[in-house]
Amino acid sequence: MLNYTVQRLVQAIVAIFGVLTIVFVVMHLSGDPTLLLVPQDASAEMIAELRHQLGFDRPIWVQYLDYLYGLTQLDFGDSVVQRVPALDIVASRLPYTIQLAAGALVVAIGVGIPAGIIMATMRGSAIERILAAVVVTGQSVPTFLSAILLIFIFGVTLRWLPTSGAGELRAMIMPSIALGALSMSTFARMTRIAIIDELGKDYVRAGIARGLSLRQTVFRHVLRNASIPVITIAALEIGNLLAGAVIIETVFAWPGIGQLAIQSIQSRDFLVVQVIVLLISFVYVMTSVLADLVYVAVDPRIRLVR
Amino acid sequence: MKLGLASIAAVALALMTSTAMAQTKEVLTIDLPNDVATLDPHLQWNTDSYTVYRNIFDNLLTRDASGKIVPQIATEWTYDNDTTITFKIRDDVTFQDGSKLTAEDVAFSINRIIDPALKSPQLSQFDQIQAAEVVDPTTVKVTTKSPYPALLAQLVKLSIVPKAYVEKVGDQEFNLNPLGSGPYKMVEWKKGIQTELEAYDSYWRGQPPFEKVVFRAVPDVSTRIADLKTGKADLIRDVPPDQASTIESDSNTKLLTGETERVGYLYLNAEAGPTKDVRVRQAIAYAIDKQGLVDALLEGYGKPVNIVGAEPIFGYTDAVEGYPYDPEKAADLIKEAGAEGATVEFLTSPSYPRALVEAIQQMVNEVGLNVTISSSDQATFLKRRQGGAENAGGMAFGAWSCACQDADGIIFPLFRSGSIWAKYKNEKYDALVDEARTILDEEKRKSLYAQAYEILREDVPGLGLYQVFALYGAAKNLQWEPSANEAMFVMDMSWQQ
Repeated sequence: MLNYTVQRLVQAIVAIFGVLTIVFVVMHLSGDPTLLLVPQDASAEMIAELRHQLGFDRPIWVQYLDYLYGLTQLDFGDSVVQRVPALDIVASRLPYTIQLAAGALVVAIGVGIPAGIIMATMRGSAIERILAAVVVTGQSVPTFLSAILLIFIFGVTLRWLPTSGAGELRAMIMPSIALGALSMSTFARMTRIAIIDELGKDYVRAGIARGLSLRQTVFRHVLRNASIPVITIAALEIGNLLAGAVIIETVFAWPGIGQLAIQSIQSRDFLVVQVIVLLISFVYVMTSVLADLVYVAVDPRIRLVR
Repeated sequence: MKLGLASIAAVALALMTSTAMAQTKEVLTIDLPNDVATLDPHLQWNTDSYTVYRNIFDNLLTRDASGKIVPQIATEWTYDNDTTITFKIRDDVTFQDGSKLTAEDVAFSINRIIDPALKSPQLSQFDQIQAAEVVDPTTVKVTTKSPYPALLAQLVKLSIVPKAYVEKVGDQEFNLNPLGSGPYKMVEWKKGIQTELEAYDSYWRGQPPFEKVVFRAVPDVSTRIADLKTGKADLIRDVPPDQASTIESDSNTKLLTGETERVGYLYLNAEAGPTKDVRVRQAIAYAIDKQGLVDALLEGYGKPVNIVGAEPIFGYTDAVEGYPYDPEKAADLIKEAGAEGATVEFLTSPSYPRALVEAIQQMVNEVGLNVTISSSDQATFLKRRQGGAENAGGMAFGAWSCACQDADGIIFPLFRSGSIWAKYKNEKYDALVDEARTILDEEKRKSLYAQAYEILREDVPGLGLYQVFALYGAAKNLQWEPSANEAMFVMDMSWQQ
């Protein structure tokens, strides 16, 4: 078990390092921020001068080694646009992203899993068909459209909720729903399939033969066994929710790292992008490691195989 | 009966709104597309940053509603000789910590922004300045490297920062907690969300119009409009022309239009590719229906121009004849040049309106060329557009403003050979614009620019398309006149019943 954990962690570090290097090279090969920083009437000499001051005229491998050396000192460098440490900028935005991801996860799990259970146990009923329609809608409406529709209906027409911004709980409702809709559908579908899968197994029939009701069987036995695939999805979805909120954050003017990432890429603010990439790859890799460890805890059979 | 109810409702509504209006407006909320990059006015010069920090700081000089350069911190100025100018400084101005603004602060501000150690991206706007020195507490002497007529226009953009405070707290802290002498002081900068300002009660020009001003960062234009309609914002900027009618039709909001000094233009590569032939460039000029572009794509919010420059700039001339829309003549010129079917690359990026680029492509294709659009991100676009002529495409659309209302800030960087934007060389033209930037005689300068514009008309290294109108959405009660240089000074705004 310990061996397994260590092995997974080493793999994780290699993956993160790889992502970091690729992003560094791609960002630097496609131009530097100097041209975007200078006023339009700058002369070629002024641009060269500023590029030199900012250090972008050095060979890329020198810049890379310099960056890696900084990392070993836990120095992530300064934003060339804002002139403050890149880490501070990302850290100030992170709480908003976590809030929004948590809100979306509440929507996704809170609606998705019950919906999946109902759809699996009440097959053929009218309620299943209604839920199926909701799930397909959540899955197929693009977020930029659902976000603008929500703003138009609940913000502009009904005036129940603020149209944009962060800071109050009410402002979180629409972005959470818009962001959580897709994950909700995924959870609903996965839960439904996993439960239907389990319902066909012998232990379920045995339980019902013993006189348990379907409801008792599902809640006592089926859910636990059906949870493995759902946990895998949850791990992936957390990564998606943290990294995939770019459009939602832009539409709702939500100051998370998705919006920051887009702006930093556009302005070629390399070091801020690097910190975000580092963070997102860390979250992705760590949630999948955690999911692996949770399986083992939930299902003793996996432990035995190892 | 129905009518009776409706009129009662109308009266009730009028009563309710009038009592609401009787209260003064305390907080003004302005939605900008992005957060401030820096609040240190000597660092970033981008619209979203200076829109905010120019309310915190005063400038040495400013422009009145007609665009004329008028005193702000400086009361008067005299040229001692062609390269030395002496400014008299007001002695009744205080910074927001109560300390007095003196000539020391003015000289410090100038010397700070031209110091290479600050790594200011704005350096190129001020690099003609040699130094600033204090003569006495209300007098500053500024020397330039050579006679430089655009100096005053550039100094309109110079914010005065407090020497003692900046030296005490250091550059980094000053950026996070700026302190100026302007009408508003910084309360809180919530990065990525908003910047909150509060009125500075001892402001020398009088009490600022609102107790608080909040600048929010709202990247999506539909959201900015939703904010305006629900009253979450009182003023929004960058309204696209096709959304103007939704703001005009709402009874709570109105559209404000600023006829800016910004000019929409088409660059044509005069040094490489099919456009190297002047007949091809002239053909493109004949092929474009400017009025059609303005009417169809800008909903009329723009005004066709004959030169690369709009009316509010010094050096503007209406004496230069424009190219009329004449597709037949254009096709003839293309044939004459033997360029039928030649491929012309049209560089662009998501920063420029796609529909406009496609419409121009269509118009030029109709007269016999083959225009292909190459779209890339802004950094790559600039790298190609500003790089060597061979790789700089055949044409590109741009919307240029120097925020200095002077032809020098437009046609010098765009077409003077050796400038990064110029893909054109004409020694006669170079001599004219060189002379115009180093003499101070206004009439002489005007005539030089008139001649320069005549050459540009003949050679077409670029084609003026239209004067850009800046569109803002505002709450009905907000009174404000947008300016030609797209500045947003809260001091010029008010709330009317």
